[in-house]
Amino acid sequence: MSGPNVVWYLCVAAGLFSIGALGVLLRRSPLIVLLSLEIMLNGGNLALIALARQQGNADGQIFALAVMAVAASEVVVGLGLIVAIGRRRLALDVDQLTRLRG
Amino acid sequence: MTVVTAGWVCLLSPLAAVALLVLGGNWLTRRQAAWLSTLSTAVSFGAALVAFFGILGEDVDQRAHYSTAWTWLSAGQYDFGLQILVDQLAVFQMLVISGIGALIVWYAVGYMDESDEERRFFAYMSLFVFSMLLLVESGNFLLLLAGWGMVGLCSYLLIGYDHHRPAAIAAAKKAFIMNAFGDATVVLALFLLVQHTGTLQYSQVFAQAQSLGQNGWVINLIALGLLGGALAKSAQIPIHTWLPDAMEGPTPVSALIHAATMVTAGVYLIVRTSPLFEQAPTVQDLAAGLGAATLLVAGLVALVQTDIKRVIAYSTMSQIGYMFLAVGIGAYADGMFHLMTHAFFKALLFLSAGIVIHALAGEQAMGRMRGIGGLMPYAKWTFLVGSLSLVGIPPFAGFFSKDDIIASALDGGDYGYVLWLAGIAGAFLTGLYTFRLYFMVFRGQPEPAVRAAYHSHHGREGPWTMLLPVGVLAIGAVVSGWVQFDDLWDRVSEFLDPVAPPLVTPSATQDAVTSVCAVGLGLIGIGVAWAIYGSRRMAVPKVPAVARVLEHKLYFDELYHWLFERPADLVSRGLYAFVELPLVAGSLQAVGLTTREAAEGVSEVQTGFVRSYVLAFTAAVGVLAIVFIAAH
Repeated sequence: MSGPNVVWYLCVAAGLFSIGALGVLLRRSPLIVLLSLEIMLNGGNLALIALARQQGNADGQIFALAVMAVAASEVVVGLGLIVAIGRRRLALDVDQLTRLRG
Repeated sequence: MTVVTAGWVCLLSPLAAVALLVLGGNWLTRRQAAWLSTLSTAVSFGAALVAFFGILGEDVDQRAHYSTAWTWLSAGQYDFGLQILVDQLAVFQMLVISGIGALIVWYAVGYMDESDEERRFFAYMSLFVFSMLLLVESGNFLLLLAGWGMVGLCSYLLIGYDHHRPAAIAAAKKAFIMNAFGDATVVLALFLLVQHTGTLQYSQVFAQAQSLGQNGWVINLIALGLLGGALAKSAQIPIHTWLPDAMEGPTPVSALIHAATMVTAGVYLIVRTSPLFEQAPTVQDLAAGLGAATLLVAGLVALVQTDIKRVIAYSTMSQIGYMFLAVGIGAYADGMFHLMTHAFFKALLFLSAGIVIHALAGEQAMGRMRGIGGLMPYAKWTFLVGSLSLVGIPPFAGFFSKDDIIASALDGGDYGYVLWLAGIAGAFLTGLYTFRLYFMVFRGQPEPAVRAAYHSHHGREGPWTMLLPVGVLAIGAVVSGWVQFDDLWDRVSEFLDPVAPPLVTPSATQDAVTSVCAVGLGLIGIGVAWAIYGSRRMAVPKVPAVARVLEHKLYFDELYHWLFERPADLVSRGLYAFVELPLVAGSLQAVGLTTREAAEGVSEVQTGFVRSYVLAFTAAVGVLAIVFIAAH
């Protein structure tokens, strides 16, 4: 096993996750929120792959592939929604999309 | 063809017809369906004849044939086969059922030609013939019960055949429920039999009848259970009120099921299980007493009925009362003999009444068919033959069988004298109500309204398919009694006695006295009917109190209404008000309301701000992560 200790990878993954989470929490543009979500997912992917390599087990890598597929689908749906919102001339602001209030 | 093969062919031929009718559906025309049903019953009759002559050619003690197709039910140590028993009693019944049945189904070909659901009717009819044959051919009590239940079902289906009329549906339900009560008591008796003998096969059970008799309680309960079923099926007091209502069914159904075959199944059951009943003499006396009571009550009520079929229905109850009287005192062959002659003349009465009903487009009220005999001589003469046979005037069939029964009562001790008096009084009533009906409907010339109704419909008596079977039955209603004349010519008794040896043997004097009394009173009854309804020399006696009691059929329906229907109604209303509404409905409503209130409270959390949700998620993940790390 060569290369840096797995802890560094996890630190980078945690950093990516935190950046993404902050983006989701703080930004109001749905487009940016989607991008931040992608960053969070990739943080998770990185942790999965790093740990899988450390364990010498391919399971984590397969999980990462599955997550990528899900992320791609999610972006398709999300972007579709954003285009639909834009077409209806609604404000592109997640704080104003409150129709689902209970 | 051996006797056993003939027995199976006889049983399965109507079942094959049912299968063809059900699967064939619209592929068969209505006419083809009707003839298929007739043909299958005729094949049954042919097979029954083969079995009969096969049995006649055998030694007397070799005449019981058991045949098992396969093990039908097996439970623990008990095995119940799909087993038939062909012996003298079974063959006797097979001949009556398939013979009379074939004639009646044949008649229905013409009678049902205005119905638009003929195929269903004939499928039910064939199913009934199969069930009835199953009942009499079964080799064990379990199969008997299957046939017992299935004839009840067919009776229900056929009474309610005209399902557009609420009265027909109500009558069908009444018949079914009252019969279900009888079925239940039979089942209870069978449970006791299994518990105490370990088997339900006839020969094995009867072999243990003696040892069962040691235990008075058990044998009495078994006999009571069987008697309950017999009373319900045969419409005897106190479970008789369904039979008059069953006249809502089509006339061939009334003739086949509610006169000739199914309602006499109770008599067959008592004869078949006579070894058990003889161990419970009290119950057997009870059967005879209830038969005597029924024959009197039904004869009285028949005097005031205004519906032609209801009069004949009450007469059926009354005649079955005679049969119960016979088997109750142990004159088994006499009871079965009367069952056979009754099947002929009662089917004849129903079918010739059916000719009138058919010609008048379903009219059953006697008031609206006065004097119809002037227009319909064929119906008039055949009805007269049936009436004379019913009253027991020699040389018609009823004379030979009914007098046998009444004479047998004379040999039954003190109790027998009471029964004898009831039977003799019944003979007078029979003459009176039968000829009241005959003179009211058939005598003289029709009123203009009746004539108009007759000509506006068919304007003829009926198609040949209806007239011919009635003719055959009319011949049967004369000659079928000639196979037995007590002390001189005992072919029926000789044939049946090995299965159920009689307990009473009246002397020649007793026979002669009874015959003179019964025929004399029957003729007096006819004479009184002539004076009141024929020549109108006497006015109809007016005793309002008696008339009211009879018109209410001795208040049996009202009694059951107050005894069972009202309490059940009250209990269910009480349960609705005090259990259903507060507990069941209330608790369900409370569950719903509480859930709703809780949801309204919780929904405050759902702000609609996506970012607040994300904050909650993230915070939760953060907490989890800290907990996770701290735990390590």
